[in-house]
Amino acid sequence: MSRIGVFICHCGENISRTVDVERVAQVTARLPGVAIALDYKYMCSDPGQNLLKKAVAEHKLDGVVVAACSPRMHEKTFRNAARAAGLNPFLCEMANIREHCSWVHEDREEATAKAIDIVKFTVSRVKKDRALAPITVPITKRALVIGGGIAGIQAALDIADAGHQVVLVEREPSIGGHMAQLSETFPTLDCSQCIMTPKMVDVANHPNIKLYTWSEIEEVSGYIGNFQVTVRRKARSVDEDKCTGCGVCMAKCPQKKIDNAFDRNLGTRPAIYVPFPQAVPNTPVIDRDNCTRFKTGKCGVCEKVCGPGAIDYGQQDQLIVEPVGAIVVASGFDLYNIGPKPADSPYEGYGEFGYGAIPDVIDGLTFERLASASGPTGGKILRPSDGKEPKQVVFIQCVGSRAREKGISYCSKICCMYTAKHTMLYKHKIHDGQAYVFFMDARTPGKNYDEFWRRAVEEEEAVYIRGMVSRLYQKGDKVVVMGSDVLVGVQVEIEADLVVLATAVQARTGADLLAQKLGISYDRYNFYSEAHAKLKPVECATAGIYLAGACQGPKDIPDTVSQASAAAAKVMTLFAKDQLEREPIVARVNERNCAGCLACKKVCPYGAVEEKEIRDRNGNLIKTVAYVNPGVCGGCGTCQATCPSKSVELDGYTDEQIMAMIEAL
Amino acid sequence: MKNAKMHLSTETMNLGFVKKVEALSGSSVRRCFQCGKCSAGCPMRSFMEHPPNRIVRLLQLGQWERVLAGRSIWYCASCETCSTRCPNKVDLAAIMDALRKLSWDAAGPSKESYVQLANRLFMENIRTYGRQYEMRLAAVFNMKSGQFLKDLMLGPKLITKGKLKMFHAKNQNVGEIERIFSRIEEMRKKGEAP
Repeated sequence: MSRIGVFICHCGENISRTVDVERVAQVTARLPGVAIALDYKYMCSDPGQNLLKKAVAEHKLDGVVVAACSPRMHEKTFRNAARAAGLNPFLCEMANIREHCSWVHEDREEATAKAIDIVKFTVSRVKKDRALAPITVPITKRALVIGGGIAGIQAALDIADAGHQVVLVEREPSIGGHMAQLSETFPTLDCSQCIMTPKMVDVANHPNIKLYTWSEIEEVSGYIGNFQVTVRRKARSVDEDKCTGCGVCMAKCPQKKIDNAFDRNLGTRPAIYVPFPQAVPNTPVIDRDNCTRFKTGKCGVCEKVCGPGAIDYGQQDQLIVEPVGAIVVASGFDLYNIGPKPADSPYEGYGEFGYGAIPDVIDGLTFERLASASGPTGGKILRPSDGKEPKQVVFIQCVGSRAREKGISYCSKICCMYTAKHTMLYKHKIHDGQAYVFFMDARTPGKNYDEFWRRAVEEEEAVYIRGMVSRLYQKGDKVVVMGSDVLVGVQVEIEADLVVLATAVQARTGADLLAQKLGISYDRYNFYSEAHAKLKPVECATAGIYLAGACQGPKDIPDTVSQASAAAAKVMTLFAKDQLEREPIVARVNERNCAGCLACKKVCPYGAVEEKEIRDRNGNLIKTVAYVNPGVCGGCGTCQATCPSKSVELDGYTDEQIMAMIEAL
Repeated sequence: MKNAKMHLSTETMNLGFVKKVEALSGSSVRRCFQCGKCSAGCPMRSFMEHPPNRIVRLLQLGQWERVLAGRSIWYCASCETCSTRCPNKVDLAAIMDALRKLSWDAAGPSKESYVQLANRLFMENIRTYGRQYEMRLAAVFNMKSGQFLKDLMLGPKLITKGKLKMFHAKNQNVGEIERIFSRIEEMRKKGEAP
C-alpha cells in the first residue's frame, strides 16, 4: 500500500473562492493509499513548503500530490521541496486545480467535484510513478555562429573572449554584413566603417575564432551540447593560405563590368573581387558565373599575374564537419522585394511608386551607398539617372512596412531613424538642397532617438509632411510626388530630383530553409521565433540554439549588439557547466517487445530515434530495434502513441499511468 | 485657396517670411510637432478657418499667403492660453502678433476682412480726438465697408444705456497725443520701430 500525501493550495483566494478546498482535503484523505491530505493558504510559500517537507518525514510518504496551479508555474518548486525532504522529485506531481478548474468555473459545487476528480486521478498516477534520475549530457564547449554581420561578429567576439572556441560561418566573401554598407549611423552619426572594421579585424585575428567566409550551413544534426554541423566551403578559386591580398588580380582582371551588389548595383567590380576594400578576409573570390576563364576557358590573366600563385581554378567545394555545443543564429535580414524585377534595371517594381521604372527612385540602402565615402560616387550624393546633384529629395517612409495589402503588417522599426539620418547626411553634403519626408508616424523610441529626429526637423530643416504618397511619376527629368498633408488637409505636389523609399525590413530569402536545417521555428514572415517574447527573447524553443539580430525581427544596431551579447552570455552559461542536466521525462524502448518497425523513427519530431542492432555473443545479428537518444528526446510522447506493439513508453506518462488515471474517474 | 493643392519647392516655400515671423515673435516655428494642444484650448477656434496648430503648420511649409489670407489671425483674442500650455515652448500668441503685424504691412492678403479698415479708423480717431469716438467709428466703418445698415439696431440700445455718445468729448491734450504719433512715425521711417 502506498503512502501518498495530498496538499491542497488555496492560492490566496484564487482557488478557494470557487473550490471548497477543505472538502477536497476531507474526501481525498479517505482515498486508498493516501496517508494524509491537508489544505493551506499558500503552498508555494516557505511555510507551505515546510508543511510538505515535514509531512514527508512524519508520515514516511512515498508520493506527493500538490493540488494547486499549473506545473509550468510551480512543479519545480515542489519537486525541489520533495527532494529536500529526501523523496525522489519525480514522485511529486501537480494536480492543476487553478487554471484547469477554479479559474474557468463559476459553480462552487461543480468546481469542487471536478477538483476532487483531478486530485483523485493524479493520486492514481503518482502510485505508478517511478523514481527517475536526471539525465546528464556532455557538452562540447565550442560554439557555432551563423552570419558575420554585426550580430554574429559581436556574439563570436564575446564567446571567444570568454575563452571558448567559435566557428563563424559567413555566406559572403567577407564578414561585415549590412552594417559595412552603411555610411553613418544614428543617433550619433559615427561612420559605420570606422566603428565596424576594427571589430572585423579582431575576428580575423582572434586565436579562438575559426572564420569560414564564402561558406554555408549544409546540415545540422545532434542536440544541445552535442551538435554536428556540416559547413560547405564554397570554392573560392583562390588559395587563402597563399594569397597576400595584394589586389593585382583584381586590377588586371579584364572583365570589370559586373554589377557590384555591395554597392546596390550602382558601381561595377571585376570577376575576381573582394566586395569592398576593407573586406575581412582580404582574399578575393572568383565569381565563376561571370569569369571569362570559367565561361569560355580562355583567359587566366589572374593566374599569370598572381605572384604567390594563389589562383586555383580547380578548387572544389569542401564539406567540413564541426562539432559544437551551442549555435547562435545571426543570419540577418533583406530589404523588401518590391514587385517583379524589370530586366533592364537594377531596381524592383512597386506599381504606384514606379520603383524600377524610374531610375531616380531608390531605396534607403542605395542612398547609404551614395552617401558613403567608400561608395560608388566617393560619398558624393549624385542621382543614378544623370549623375547630377539632386536639389530636392523626397523620402517616403513605410514603403512595404505597415502595408497589409503588400503582405506586411509590422513596423520595420529602423526606417524613421535612418530617414531622419538621411535628411541630415543630405543637408551636410548639399547645403542648398531641400529634403522632404512623407511619414505616417515618427516612431523614435530609444536613447537620444527622438532628439535626433527633432534635430533633423528643427536644425537641419528637413520638411516633414504627415501623410502618404499616392503615386510617383516621371516628368521630364523630375519625379513628381503626389502626396497629401493631412495636418493642413490639402494635397501636396513636389517635383523631386531624387526619391528615396524606406523599404521594409524582411527576413532573409531562404531563412525558412536554414530554420528547417536547424530545427527552429519561424513566424509567418520567416523571422525566427524566440522561446518567449518577454522572458526568453534570445533563446529558441530548440535547446542550445540562440538568436541575435534582425533574423528574429527588425532591429537597429544598438539592439542587435545587445542581443548578440545576450546570446553570447547564454552560450557561456551553458558552457560554464561540464555536463548538462536534463529532465528524465524521455521515452524508453522495451527492446524485448520492439519489432523494429521503426514507425516511431518516422514520427519523432526531434530525430531522437535511432536504429540499434542486437547481436549475440558471436556477433550474429538477432534483431534491429529502436533506440531513443535521451539527450535528444523532447518527451512529447508521439512515439508512444504510434508504436503498434506498445513497446515504447514515456517516463512519467506510461500507458499504465494514463489507464490508471482514467480508471480513477 | 484653402483646399487648393500645395506645390512645394524651395521657390514656393517662403522661408524668408518664416524667418521674419520667428524674429518678430522670438519663437521657433519648426519646434512645433503638431500635437494640437493650442487648438484644443483655443476659445476662438470655432470662428477660425485655420485652427492655431494649422497656422503653425502652414508657416513650417512657408505658406505665408494661406496664413495671411484667412481671418484666423484676427480672431485670435491674444488670451495666450496656447503659449501657456504649449509643450514645446512655442509662443503662439507672439507668433499671432507677428503675423498681424506682417499682414498689416503687406496690406493685401487680409483685405477680405475689414479688420485693417477697423484698425485704421480706430487709430485715426485716437489721433484726432485723443480718445475713442464710437459713433463716428461705427458710422465711418459702415460707410467705407459699404454695409450701411450693419448693427444699426444696436445703436438706440447702446445710446439709452449711455454706452454710445452722440458727440465726442475731446481730450484736452490732443497735441501731446499727436506728438506720440509723429514720433512713432519718425521711428518707423528710421526703422527703429516695427
